[in-house]
Amino acid sequence: MNGFVAALKAEIYVALRSNSTRLLVLLPSLIVIARAIVVRLTETGQQAREALLGQEAEAVAGTNAWGHFVDSFSTGLTLLSLTLVAYAAWTFASDRDSGALRHVLIRRASRPALVLAKLSMVYLLALCALGLMTASIGTITALLWDFGPVVEDGYELIGSAEIRAEVGLGLRLALLPLPAALAFGLLVSVCAQSATQAVTSALGITVALDIFKGVLGERAYYLYATFQPSLIDQSYLQDVSRLVRGYSDVMIDNRVLQLNEWVPLPQMLLFVVLALLLVRGKKL
Amino acid sequence: MTYHNTAPLLVTELSKKYGDFEVLRKLSLEVTAGAVHGLVGLNGSGKTTTLECLLGMQSFDSGSIRVLGLPPDQLHRSRGGVVSIFDNPSLHPQLTVRQVLEHASLLCEQRVRTPAQVEALLGISKYSHFKIRHLSLGNRRRASIAQALLGSPALVLLDEPFNGLDAGGVDDMLALISTLNRDEGTAFLLSSHQLPYLEKICSHLSILHKGRIVVSDHVSRLFNSRVSRLLVSCDDVVRACAIVQDIPGVQIEDNSAPGLLTLQLEDVSPALINQRLVQKGIAVHELQRERASLTSLFHEITARDPVHDHLLDAGHDTSRTVVEADL
Repeated sequence: MNGFVAALKAEIYVALRSNSTRLLVLLPSLIVIARAIVVRLTETGQQAREALLGQEAEAVAGTNAWGHFVDSFSTGLTLLSLTLVAYAAWTFASDRDSGALRHVLIRRASRPALVLAKLSMVYLLALCALGLMTASIGTITALLWDFGPVVEDGYELIGSAEIRAEVGLGLRLALLPLPAALAFGLLVSVCAQSATQAVTSALGITVALDIFKGVLGERAYYLYATFQPSLIDQSYLQDVSRLVRGYSDVMIDNRVLQLNEWVPLPQMLLFVVLALLLVRGKKL
Repeated sequence: MTYHNTAPLLVTELSKKYGDFEVLRKLSLEVTAGAVHGLVGLNGSGKTTTLECLLGMQSFDSGSIRVLGLPPDQLHRSRGGVVSIFDNPSLHPQLTVRQVLEHASLLCEQRVRTPAQVEALLGISKYSHFKIRHLSLGNRRRASIAQALLGSPALVLLDEPFNGLDAGGVDDMLALISTLNRDEGTAFLLSSHQLPYLEKICSHLSILHKGRIVVSDHVSRLFNSRVSRLLVSCDDVVRACAIVQDIPGVQIEDNSAPGLLTLQLEDVSPALINQRLVQKGIAVHELQRERASLTSLFHEITARDPVHDHLLDAGHDTSRTVVEADL
């Protein structure tokens, strides 16, 4: 345990002084802020154009903040998971390339303790990036739009409490696969021969999973990546985005939601156990 | 944890294969407490593989390794009792020298020096705020050594410690090893090609050749047991030859130069030669003993290798580093 704590402290020390980790934490927030501003500018332009043409602006979906809030999360989480998977793949392999890993192993930590410290560091970074991104999204959407119930022609289609509950559920389900994705990145890092190979392999496989989950049919629900916001998004957050805009044609399959809850965790544990086993025999 | 009265490093019949190629063949090695032990060998003889096995960085097929009484995969339990400095400085390139040392402090359970102190000790205080990636190889190596000196290790393993160091740097390094060895009783295992430096600093030497330790002994025993050469500058070379050729263990190697006689001595003291010549009325102006060197010993052993001979014949002089080191 002492070895793990010492290795984690050493990881945190390096991360706090590294530009790449700062960028990793800041980048998703900057992107979602930029995205929100671009969307708002486009909307304003569209409304101005419609006003000039004498048409009535589509007020309901356009001005309610919740849809943009969810879309921003969808964008941010896609970016966050890709960058963090790349970081997880890079972290162990690059330290092995530079030899920095050896000092930790000789002086203080066992191989498994070091792998767990690396993984914990990646999770801490994910938490920091997520916290900052949540604050950024909340602030920018509140500044540019109004949070409230979805009202159409004087009727409340969906109330604030219900929206908050759906958004909460959507975010929880979208975040559950993230630890598994990061553990997968670290597993690739442990297996790879170099940092370059680790990053390209981890990103390549992640994108490949994204492509193939569409053709796997029902079997895709047994894959953590299916539930993750991604470039080809099948996550529940997509449905939430439509729900909070007042669309009533959203079909929710409770079995899929249950699989979303239960599939990622065992897969994360599997990746961690594999990484711990493989690192024992690895030449470092 | 104390390590007194036990060998800090004990390797028994260590074997390791890369595919079909046997890199280490039943290698046995012991580094005794307080020793400065040199490990020399040609390129590809297995030095780095040996060190990596000792440090648990790679697995081995058979044999046993105990470093401070621990198997290699448990070295972290020595809590800084063993440190290593690698050929490649192995530091985080994005950190400054001071940050690297502070980072190493976090891993050092029993710190005896502060980062500022080790910087001063290694003469790198002025580079304290330079990033590692901006330093020369020599200064990166100094920074690597500096982080190893934060604690009080019982055993230090150094892989090619003199690479990338200028003449002053080598002297500093030799002085540092001597000081730590003398004042703190730190044992060292140095793997290097730089034979003259090893000869200066090591108390024990092992020659690794084709995966085996072919010679391993205390330096004094290693060289005293061998033939040495004596250059005698005297008045009458012809008479001197007649006198010394009757002494058992003396062979005349060359008497062609005027006033200079070259002898080969086997277990004969130069003082005896001097005494005999003076007794017979021959004025001796100078005696110069050329002891067997590590370089000559190394050449002698490696030259027996048919592979090495083949490489030399083909124009690949594998002993070139030795010659360069001599220069």
